Amino acid sequence: MNTILVVVIVINIILALLFSLGAAPILVWVERRVAGFIQDRLGPNRCNINGFRLGGLIQSFADMLKLVFKEDFKAKAIKEKFVFTLAPVIVFVSAFLSYMVMPFADNLVIGSQTFIMQGLPINLGALWFLAFAGLSIYGIILGGWSSNNKYSLLGSIRAGAQVISYEASMTLALVSLLVTYGSINLVDMVNFQSKLLFGFIPAWGIVIQPLAAVIFIVTAFAEANRTPFDIAEGESEIVGGYHTEYSAMKFGLFFVGEYVAMSASSALIVTLFFGGYNLPWLGTDTLKENFHTVMLAIIVILPLLSLLFGRWIVKNNVWPSKDDKRNNESKWLIRVLILINIVVIGILGCFLINGITETTTNIAVAIIQIATFAIKLLLMNFVFVWVRWTLPRFRYDQLQNLGWKILLPLSIANIFLTALVVVGLGV
Amino acid sequence: MGIKIVPRYGKSLKDRLYLPAIFSGMKTTMSHFAKNLKDTSNIKTECYPEMQPTDITSRYRGVHRLTHRDDGSIRCVACFMCATACPSDCIFIEATEREDGIDEKMPSLFNIDLLECVFCGGCAEACPCDAIRMDTGIFSFVATKREDFVLNREKLLANKAFRGEL
Repeated sequence: MNTILVVVIVINIILALLFSLGAAPILVWVERRVAGFIQDRLGPNRCNINGFRLGGLIQSFADMLKLVFKEDFKAKAIKEKFVFTLAPVIVFVSAFLSYMVMPFADNLVIGSQTFIMQGLPINLGALWFLAFAGLSIYGIILGGWSSNNKYSLLGSIRAGAQVISYEASMTLALVSLLVTYGSINLVDMVNFQSKLLFGFIPAWGIVIQPLAAVIFIVTAFAEANRTPFDIAEGESEIVGGYHTEYSAMKFGLFFVGEYVAMSASSALIVTLFFGGYNLPWLGTDTLKENFHTVMLAIIVILPLLSLLFGRWIVKNNVWPSKDDKRNNESKWLIRVLILINIVVIGILGCFLINGITETTTNIAVAIIQIATFAIKLLLMNFVFVWVRWTLPRFRYDQLQNLGWKILLPLSIANIFLTALVVVGLGV
Repeated sequence: MGIKIVPRYGKSLKDRLYLPAIFSGMKTTMSHFAKNLKDTSNIKTECYPEMQPTDITSRYRGVHRLTHRDDGSIRCVACFMCATACPSDCIFIEATEREDGIDEKMPSLFNIDLLECVFCGGCAEACPCDAIRMDTGIFSFVATKREDFVLNREKLLANKAFRGEL
């Protein structure tokens, strides 16, 4: 045990917490604002702390605070109190643990030590995700059953039927990827994708395995219990589905667990199909070799993006009444934006002038990759939200038809094709 | 008799693939999102307490008011027509002799209990001298006590017409 090891592990755990748990309020905010904009309305925009609204983000924290302080009501009809309490914990913990193997950056080399940039430094990769994602359904089934409520039971039966119809095709889609990448370690998979196909296309999973990508993304929606496959919740048919009887923070755990599961699914989709932490055309080695050019590019691009963002803030972040303190926010946001620009450009300028050591390069590359991963993750989560506000819910039998009759044969055919190509080309 | 052949959709390969339809739907929602994100003033939502509605019609039945004569005195002659027409019995009038020679009678007490009122407009309809109207455009009335919801004669006389006096 030495200091660097401890520091890196702590940073990794904090990052994993930020990307999963910390993402929940941000995703709730994104969901509500995007839903508003898609439906030509505003979404939450009033809640503020001393005038700071952050575009409505404060509302998520207010809602979470409300859930914590609400009465934890439990109906007398609920007999299995232990299982009833355990169910949301299972959903939350399994969603949370399934996140722990997502690599945020390439293996970090400091001196003679190599660190795996994951929440938990294990090599199980995709299998770990499948195991814990599959476990979360137990929470839903147990919660619905122990609620002693017709609607909850219906919801959990639906969840059970749903999980057997999509999980098979999900795993089989993953198998064809394992054949292609030749590893279950997610870092190896991402590094495979940093190569170029025919010399100019990034060899991302979606280019190599388009069919597996479609199958996996479709089943990931079912996995995360998101529309169009949120039939277990089905609030227009069976009240609230499995969480009808839950209140306060027990419901909150289901709620946050859903978003963490969504974020975990997005992270896996990004890792498997969209090049993970890699920038397109810039693998880890290319980044390290051309780090001076990259720094120059950041120095040019960052102020331009900040300028665009600042102009957007000034134009759109206004409050109807003139003397409201919410109108002071834009001024402060722009000051923060300028401060970030000065700090980043100052540090990079120092590196450019004084030269840069190898360890610093490695750390800087890791930071760039973490930022890339975060942006890709946010975009993928946006796709989840976007689809939710576009499509209506699938019917119970339609989902099973889709899972058993279409996705399963397709994924088996895809494994067969992949195996033929891999064996034929001797890759 | 002609036969109209209705085309059946959903059987072509493009329809059965599902994905093209899903992507076109996503294109629609994205166009709305992009338009509204680029300029939030494209959204028609009004931030209510800060932005009061401007589209209240002249027929909108808001909180009542008592009208004035040309010399500024009360127009009401305390004939009790409105109180009789009122289906929820929310108008309480006490009449008194009018001493200034303009008319014979006027109300000394004219109370309207807004918690009882159903805003049917029957009082304004029944009034023979156009003394009570509901054209104030006041749609939001709040108070902390029940007693504060009872409007007396002075408050009713002070209410102004939403679109100015006719």
